[in-house]
Amino acid sequence: MSYSKEKVESILNNGISRRSFLKGLAASGVLTSLPGGILQANEDLNTKIPYIGQKNYQTFRNACPRNCYDTCSIKTYVKDGVMQFIEGAQESTYTRGGCCVKGNSYVKRVYSARRLKYPMMQVGGKGSGNWKRVSWDYAMETIAKKLLEMKKEDGTLLGAALTKYSGNFGITHYGVEGMFSSIGYTTRLAGTPCWPAGIDAQNLDMGDMWCNDPEEMKDSKFIILWGVNPASNSVHSMKYIYEAKKKGAKVVVIDPIFTEAASKASQYIQIKTGTDGLLALGMAKIIIDANLHDQKWLDANSKGYKEYKAYLDKEIKLDNVSKITGIPLAMIKELALSFAKAKPATIWMGYGMQRHTNGGSMIRAIDAFVAVSGNIGKYAGGARYGHLSTWGFNYAALSQTKPEGSVGYTGLSSIKGEFAKESGEKAAYTDRSLNINKTARELLNAKEPKVRLLWVACKNVFSQDFDRNQLIRTFQQLDLVVVADQFFNETAKWADIVLPVATQFEEYDVNVSYWHYWMTLNEQAIKPLFEVKSDVEIAALLSKHMNKLESGSCTFPQSVDTKAMTIKEFNPGIYEQFGIKSWEELKNGPVKAKAVIPYADGKFKTPSGKFEFYSDKALELFGNALPSYVEVRKPYDKFRMTSPHSRWSLHSQFQNLEWMEDMHPEPYAYINPDDAEAKMVQEGDTIAVFNKQGLLRVKAKITDNVQSGTVLLYEQWYNNNIYNVNELVDDTSSDMGAFKTGAPGVALHDTFVNFRKL
Amino acid sequence: MQTLQPQNSQRLDELKYLRDIFNAQNSKELKRAFDALDSLISISEEDLEVQFNRYFVGPMETVADPFASVYLDNPDVFMSKTTLHVRDLYETMGFTYSLKNVVPEDHLGVELDAYYQLLFLEEAKEITYLSDLRHYFLHEHLALWIPRFLERGLAQSEHASAAMIFILMQLKSLLIRETTTTRSS
Repeated sequence: MSYSKEKVESILNNGISRRSFLKGLAASGVLTSLPGGILQANEDLNTKIPYIGQKNYQTFRNACPRNCYDTCSIKTYVKDGVMQFIEGAQESTYTRGGCCVKGNSYVKRVYSARRLKYPMMQVGGKGSGNWKRVSWDYAMETIAKKLLEMKKEDGTLLGAALTKYSGNFGITHYGVEGMFSSIGYTTRLAGTPCWPAGIDAQNLDMGDMWCNDPEEMKDSKFIILWGVNPASNSVHSMKYIYEAKKKGAKVVVIDPIFTEAASKASQYIQIKTGTDGLLALGMAKIIIDANLHDQKWLDANSKGYKEYKAYLDKEIKLDNVSKITGIPLAMIKELALSFAKAKPATIWMGYGMQRHTNGGSMIRAIDAFVAVSGNIGKYAGGARYGHLSTWGFNYAALSQTKPEGSVGYTGLSSIKGEFAKESGEKAAYTDRSLNINKTARELLNAKEPKVRLLWVACKNVFSQDFDRNQLIRTFQQLDLVVVADQFFNETAKWADIVLPVATQFEEYDVNVSYWHYWMTLNEQAIKPLFEVKSDVEIAALLSKHMNKLESGSCTFPQSVDTKAMTIKEFNPGIYEQFGIKSWEELKNGPVKAKAVIPYADGKFKTPSGKFEFYSDKALELFGNALPSYVEVRKPYDKFRMTSPHSRWSLHSQFQNLEWMEDMHPEPYAYINPDDAEAKMVQEGDTIAVFNKQGLLRVKAKITDNVQSGTVLLYEQWYNNNIYNVNELVDDTSSDMGAFKTGAPGVALHDTFVNFRKL
Repeated sequence: MQTLQPQNSQRLDELKYLRDIFNAQNSKELKRAFDALDSLISISEEDLEVQFNRYFVGPMETVADPFASVYLDNPDVFMSKTTLHVRDLYETMGFTYSLKNVVPEDHLGVELDAYYQLLFLEEAKEITYLSDLRHYFLHEHLALWIPRFLERGLAQSEHASAAMIFILMQLKSLLIRETTTTRSS
């Protein structure tokens, strides 16, 4: 071969050589002779000495929009239009310069070779794997035609259903719901599989779900992490817990599982699953009997304390509490009394605890214990569950009007969601709500009209919903399933059309947290890769095609800019709450809401305006006015199965990336050594975990982190693996959720299984 | 245009058709380029595209990703060091790329386009100014990753496709021919 590698590398790496080479190139007539293709001759060839060294980074503000307590504020470093790395924003005292391993993998996620790149249509039928590329126009015209055909045939668009949840919590992503509102009255999978029982419980007790700032925990004197594992799932909160501990606070973890957080605590108390409410009631009785309750606060701020105390006196026997919870009485007493003596003291309640048939009742019992101890409305105190107090945006993308003459459902109230609610105005028609926690069955059973089109956004149905076999039957029966996502997952496998969606780095948005009090602007840092589009751009394109086919059939703007959409979400209330004059100040970094201590003024949004031990609403809706002991679901098989979040994924997100696959390549069943011995199972054996719902084949890991009688399997999606723990979960409801979120939650952790060695 | 030797004309044409296969935006473009290679394989437009997507596009995990960086830097990621090196090479060759930061420069279709245009300059226009760069691109880049891409594509047994194997074998022949052909006079 007749070329000099050194000569070429000199041209590439030496500015003077390159200038000389490019000058020659410009003068030689080469450029006019190139035939042209995807690459074109550069008519504006820069023949100045190029800067060969390191180019400067451009920086952008971003937010992690995942369904996570921490909602990190991110700073993104971009060079020549390519993301190089991200870091946690230093400006946020919560994120404090660091992200978790999932956040730190964002560059790999954005540039993952496995991203969906083009709109595609499955031509051989759902699940065939025969995919054809289609243009955006073709895809959207196909969907628009189907919608209009359904409207013509049914006289309504209730045959079009939307399931969307927590894949992206950016505020403009409510434009997906807005898109569905803008075409008419439709069917919505409503409710939440996440935290509804607890939301209802807190609302019954306090009229709101509103937690203290987690950064205050550094000054707490006693912290109970009750069924929550922040060392794994809210890593930024741990620094406040460590600081409190360093200053002498006691940190106790109460959990059926010996978690990462338990390993960092002063004390770990292993409780029998589903008995937490009883423990809280027992603890309340102990501190009242010891006269360590805050009578003054209770007199001024509560309703029904007398009835509550009478219930404790009559019904709660401490020996029984000990026996049922599995915790020695002396330990319970020590825990209750030391909590009551420490001021301020706080309890952080996890969401797993309320995923039981008695979940809401357990949160109510713990709220009541914190109230009795006098820690509600106190700095560094509180019964912490979550909050939405910083979510007061305009929801401009969400709020779309129905086309004139739209016909919908009659007689029922409008859709609810925990984050953003659509207008609750009384209308002749409403959308049709189906329970998101019974997706497969509800979609299949919906009649008059039956559901024919399903749009899936920000959600991996086959990973997060229940009854996979039923889901497959349901999807196969639908005329058209559209899945908008960033990766090809099990849900996309059963779609007719997949639409590639932008990551947060390819669009504008704004994010807040349901835990901390920071707000972060999300700037577009890079061009959208391949043909990906943001959810609101997809909505606009659908509107364009709907209106082209039938003018006035969709009210969503036909052209949108994600930056302009984001700006529309701000209002004076948000500016006031965060102490800024304009959204542009967020370009300098995230800002924190002005400090406020929930309920410090003694004002509760309950009907009585007080903390309600006795709730008429609870009596009306759930048949029990007081926080009281409700037995958990009876076992229907030999072992309880619990399916918590793992630290390597956020539901079904992230696990498909290299780092996570490297650390955690496959699912395992975690089994107590006693149970393993009884079943003659050894570490690494492949076992079948099964029940009346289904069967999973997984390898066993033997650990006494899990108590005897329980099998633990993480919920998440593993790439190239059909494992889905929800195949074993029936859709039995938790006790609460319908009050505030439209539907009860799912009693996920009241699943029972058996297992055997294969 | 200067008269091309038939073998050089064929060399350019085959390169162009392969380029067009990997840059096809739809089944029609794909079929046209595929048929131009005279495969003697009878296949419908739709089947061809379905099989092509299964191998190289997605949306499911592909058999062989057509990005150099996947073979030279990290099997899961594109837009990495190799992509930026190729970007730099294109800029030095005098190209602009309208899909910069949208489709990585080291996508096989784009690389075949660059190589085709450089070869065209030499063979059809007898301009050798970029010849060193073409050879460098071939020997120091294309020849480093395309064999690994071919290996992965040809090792596929489930859903093996005669049409895709043909495309890969054509690419293999092209690579062998180009890496063993010295500059033509």
